[in-house]
Amino acid sequence: MAVKLMGGMLEMADIVLAKIQITINLMPFLMQGLLMTFKVSILAILFGSLLGFVLGVVRTLGYRPLTAIIGIYLHIFRGTPYLVQLYIIYFVFPSFGVGFLNFDSFTAAIVSLSLYTSSYVTEITTAAIYAIPRGQEEAARSCGMSKAEALIYVVLPQSLKMMIPPMASIYVVIIKSTAILSIIGISELTRQGEVAILRMPGDIMFVYGLIATMYFIYCYPVLRFAKWAEGAFGSIGSVQDQES
Amino acid sequence: MKDPIIRIENVSKQFGTLKALDGVTNQIQRGEVVVIIGPSGSGKSTLLRTLNGLETVSEGNVYIDGVNIVDTRVNINKLRSKVGMVFQHFNLFRHKTALDNIIMPQTVVLNRKRKEAEDVARKLLEKVGIPEKAGNYPDQLSGGQQQRVAIARSLAMHPKIMLFDEATSALDPETVGGVLQLMKDLATEGMTMVVVTHEMGFAREVADRVIFMDGGQILEEATPDEFFDRPKNSRTITFLSQIL
Repeated sequence: MAVKLMGGMLEMADIVLAKIQITINLMPFLMQGLLMTFKVSILAILFGSLLGFVLGVVRTLGYRPLTAIIGIYLHIFRGTPYLVQLYIIYFVFPSFGVGFLNFDSFTAAIVSLSLYTSSYVTEITTAAIYAIPRGQEEAARSCGMSKAEALIYVVLPQSLKMMIPPMASIYVVIIKSTAILSIIGISELTRQGEVAILRMPGDIMFVYGLIATMYFIYCYPVLRFAKWAEGAFGSIGSVQDQES
Repeated sequence: MKDPIIRIENVSKQFGTLKALDGVTNQIQRGEVVVIIGPSGSGKSTLLRTLNGLETVSEGNVYIDGVNIVDTRVNINKLRSKVGMVFQHFNLFRHKTALDNIIMPQTVVLNRKRKEAEDVARKLLEKVGIPEKAGNYPDQLSGGQQQRVAIARSLAMHPKIMLFDEATSALDPETVGGVLQLMKDLATEGMTMVVVTHEMGFAREVADRVIFMDGGQILEEATPDEFFDRPKNSRTITFLSQIL
């Protein structure tokens, strides 16, 4: 009985050791993937936020044709799957024969993910601007500020604070969306994991577990930050109207 | 009539099917204190807001200091800084301290140096009686204190005219007196004031002239004594009997 138990424990120890060995062996390879995931998500967030912020502000200015164009843009990017957008940008655009649309996979990844990000950021920006009570702009304008000055000095500083929590949430969505980039051959984390599985098909569950853990380690602090920021800066949904 | 600083000529304002202002004509003299009273929806706030361009007019002309502000070629921003406005809900910039609320419009609109603007701001906080609240944010101030800061913010622009839109309606009863006193002081100093209010005591004591509006029209105007003691229009009589 005791011998059998002892044997079982040894067997367990062997398995654990083997998994640790796999982890150590795979780590540099997977870290490369995580680094790529990091790079792609940061760039997409950066470009997407800039574009989305500009579009979001323009949308509130009340120039009808521009508002309509931005509306269509949002419908296209928010109403279709990101995977389809990626396919079109990477596989279909080059067939137009226009030079600069002939993206390599990395550029296609950044462009498509940035556009996708911008559609969310536009909505967030617009909501955050409309969440500022009208009286704030009226007070600024009655002091003699132009529409632009009222926006820059009074409305946007208050809006930006409110945008922080939803922006952090979008950031997490984008990080997770980068997994899709594996299909166009970007060696990000998921892709690296799939390559690793080809080498050790017996450990498929374990390798995917490792990948999931690494995504989680990247996303969790951002999620915690979003939660904290909501308490610190308030969320757009629960903004207290000064006039109520 | 000698020196009108405001001339309102046949002004109408249409909100959809509602005629908020219906052919209003009036003149306000330099240094005059005019109180506008009337039931809610009578157009009194709309009239006030047209005087600094917060509300556009559908018909007619508004001259401020000889300049027609209905003319789209006029730089209305510059003009607005000459016409201070105090709102029912104060509309202090929520992201700025009391002091910065008074400084910021000066630096942005009048291009004053920060040091100079701060001197002006501190003097004005002294004048409105709350120098010790300079570092407080709006949400740390009572309604009365916020309204004092708002008045100081308007005065910092050296306006020629001050508009008060139900400036005491949102205040706790015990803070109303202080703000009214401040308005009286301004009147005594010779400021041209147009005041929309429900404070009949203030109207009787401070106004040079009382205007009664209903249905977007001026129905009666007279000196306070005449207005309150010998009203002529039947709707004025009904209104006064309801509120006095």
